[in-house]
Amino acid sequence: MKGIVFVKFGEFIEELWGDEFWDELLEEADLPSGGIYTAVATYDDEELFTLIGLVVEKKNISSKDAQFAFGQWVFKELYSLAPGGAHDFKDVFEFLHAVQNFIHVEVKKLNPDALLPEFEFLSETANELTFNYQSPRKLCFFCEGIIRGLAEHTGQEVVVSQPECEHEGDQRCVIKVEKV
Amino acid sequence: MSQDNASEAVTAETQPTLEDLTKRLGVLERKIAREKKARNMAENQLEQYSLEIYETNLSLKRALESATQKQAELEYLGLSSSYVASELPLNVMVDKIVDLTGGFSSASHGFYIISDKGKAVGGKLKQMWSLAEGWQEGNPFEEDVLSVLPLGEATLLDTWTVQSIKERNITTDQPIQTIFYTNFTLGGERIGWMAFFCTEEAISEELLSVLETAREHLLNGTRRRLADMRILKRNVQLQDSLNNLEKARKQLIQSEKMASLGQLAAGVAHEINNPVGFIRSNMEVLKEYLTDIKSFHAELSQNVKENDTLTLSAFEEACKKSDLDYIEDDSTDILKSNIEGLDRVKDIVDNLKGFSHSGDEALVPMSLPDCVTGALKIVANSFKYEHTIDNQLSESCPRIIGNTGQLQQVFVNLFVNAAYAMEGGGELSISHTEENDRVILHVKDTGSGMDEKTVKQLFTPFFTTKPVGVGTGLGLSVSYAILEAHDAQVVVDSEVGVGTTFNINFPMSTATEDS
Repeated sequence: MKGIVFVKFGEFIEELWGDEFWDELLEEADLPSGGIYTAVATYDDEELFTLIGLVVEKKNISSKDAQFAFGQWVFKELYSLAPGGAHDFKDVFEFLHAVQNFIHVEVKKLNPDALLPEFEFLSETANELTFNYQSPRKLCFFCEGIIRGLAEHTGQEVVVSQPECEHEGDQRCVIKVEKV
Repeated sequence: MSQDNASEAVTAETQPTLEDLTKRLGVLERKIAREKKARNMAENQLEQYSLEIYETNLSLKRALESATQKQAELEYLGLSSSYVASELPLNVMVDKIVDLTGGFSSASHGFYIISDKGKAVGGKLKQMWSLAEGWQEGNPFEEDVLSVLPLGEATLLDTWTVQSIKERNITTDQPIQTIFYTNFTLGGERIGWMAFFCTEEAISEELLSVLETAREHLLNGTRRRLADMRILKRNVQLQDSLNNLEKARKQLIQSEKMASLGQLAAGVAHEINNPVGFIRSNMEVLKEYLTDIKSFHAELSQNVKENDTLTLSAFEEACKKSDLDYIEDDSTDILKSNIEGLDRVKDIVDNLKGFSHSGDEALVPMSLPDCVTGALKIVANSFKYEHTIDNQLSESCPRIIGNTGQLQQVFVNLFVNAAYAMEGGGELSISHTEENDRVILHVKDTGSGMDEKTVKQLFTPFFTTKPVGVGTGLGLSVSYAILEAHDAQVVVDSEVGVGTTFNINFPMSTATEDS
C-alpha cells in the first residue's frame, strides 16, 4: 500500500487522540517499517491492518467504524493532493464515475505499481447509484467513509449503505449511494 | 485553605510532572527520529527517482535514435523495393538504386559499370554519382574504380565487399578511405557492378545488413527483368511457331483434299468416261448419218443433172432410200443426248475445280443445300445402284456462316465414309433441324456402324479402319479442324450394325450478315 495512506493515517490518529497515542500504537505494533512512513514509498498492507486492529482494541470501537471514520477524514486530504482536473467535479455520482477514468489514471501516472480498487456500476437513477466494489484488500468500509467525505465536500446529503458485503458472508461488495 | 496551599494545588493541576515531561520527551524524540529517518528515506527515494529518470531519458534518446535510424532504413528499403518492382528499364532502375544507396549510406561517390567477359563495356563508365550533386557527366575515378573491382574474375559476389583504399590517396574534399561494391548478372557473361567511395574508415554491421537486404531485392529485380526479356523472346518464337503451324495446317487441309481427290479419281474418271463413251458412239452414228446424207445429196444431184428437174416422187424415193426422216429425228436426239453428256462432264469438272481450289478461308453466309449437293456430285460414283440417297435439304434451310470450299471437303469425307460403311447397300439421308441460332445438319447412314472405341478415335489423325491404300486416316481429323474453325460442334451417334449419324451444329447467318 502506498505510503501516503500510512502518513495520512498517522495524521488522522494524531489529530484525534494526539501524537502520544500514535507513538503508543507504533511502539506496540513493532512493525517491520518501524512506523517510518514516507508518502513516496510502499509498505505492506498488513501494517495498516495491524494499526487499525490496535485502535479498535484500545478505543473499543468496531473495525468498520474505524475504517469509515478514517475514510471520511482522509477524503479532503487526498483531494487537496489530487491534480487540477480532479477539482472540477461538483456531484458525488459524477465523481464516482470519474474515479476509474480519471482519478485512477492520474494515480497510475505517479505510481505505476499502485493496486487500485475497481468499480463496476450496476444501476443508476437520478438519486441512487449502486456499484460493485472490487479490491483484494476488502476495504469497503473505508470506501464508504471516503464517499461520505466526498459528499461533505460537494455539500450533498447522501446515505451510503451496502446491500451486499463480503464481510457479511456475501459473494461481493455492493455499495449503494442515495441522495436525500 | 491558605493562599500558598491554593497556589500549590493550582500548580499541581497545570504544571506537568517530571515524569510527564520525561514521557513527553520520549514521545517527541521518537517522533523526531522517525521523521528524520522518513526524510532520509524520502531523499534516497528521490535520488533513486532522479537516477531512474536520467536512465529512462538516456534509453529514450537511444530508442529515438534507433527509431530514426530504422525509419531511414525502412524508407531506403521501401524505395529500393518500389524501384525494383517498378516497370523501369533495368539501367534506369540501377541508376536510381545507386542514387538511393549512395544517399542512404552517406557514400561520397557512386559508380555503375557493366562488364562483359571480364572487360568494362558499359553502364555509366563516363559518369559518376556524388552525394552533393547526384549523377553527373565525367568520371575522374574511372581508372581507380576499374583497378579495384575484380572484373577479370567474372564471379558473382554473394554479398557486399568492403575494401580499404586508403593507400591509393584518392582525394576529393576529404580523403577516400574505403570502397564497397557488389555485382549482379545481366545474363550471359554480362555483369553489372555497383561501387561506392566512402570517407569513413569502416562500414557498420547494421548498415551492411540493410545494404545486403537491398542487394537481394536488386537481384530479384534484375532476375525478373531478365526473365521478362527471355519470356518476351520466347513469346516471339512461339508466335513464329504458331504461324508456321497455321501455315502447315492450311497445307495439310489442301493436301488431304488432294489425297481424297486422288482416291475419288477412279470414280470420277468413270463418271466422265460414261458420257464421253456414249458421246463418242453417238458421234460414230452421226458420222454414218453424214455419209447417208452425202449419198442422198449425190443421188439428188445425179437426178437433176439427168432430168433437168426433180420430181416429187423421185425426191420422196430418195428420202425413203436414205431413211432421212429417221436420220433427222435420231440426229436431234443424239445431239440432245451429247449436249446432256457434255453438260454432265462440265458439271463434274466444275465441281472438281471448285473442290480442289484452295481458296481463302473467309467465313461468309452460304447455302448449306448447295454445298451438300455439290459434294454429292463429286462422290456420286462412290454410291452404287444398291444405295439410295435421300437429300431432304431444301432452299428453306437457313443460310449458315461458313466457307463453301472447306465444308464441301468435310461433306465429301463424310459421304465417302458413309458409302464405305454401306458396302452392301443402304440409305444415306441428309436432313437439318434448327435450334436457337444454330442449324444442325444430320448425315445418317445405315452402314456397319462403329463401336465406342472407334467413335472415340474418330477424329484422331492417321486413325483409319480402311485397308492400306484406301484412306489416309486424315480425312476426319482434318474435317474436325475445319469444323472447329467454323465454331461447329460434331456429335456422333453410332451403333454397330445399325448405322451412324453425324450431327453437325453450325452457326446460323443472321439477316444483317446476309445483306
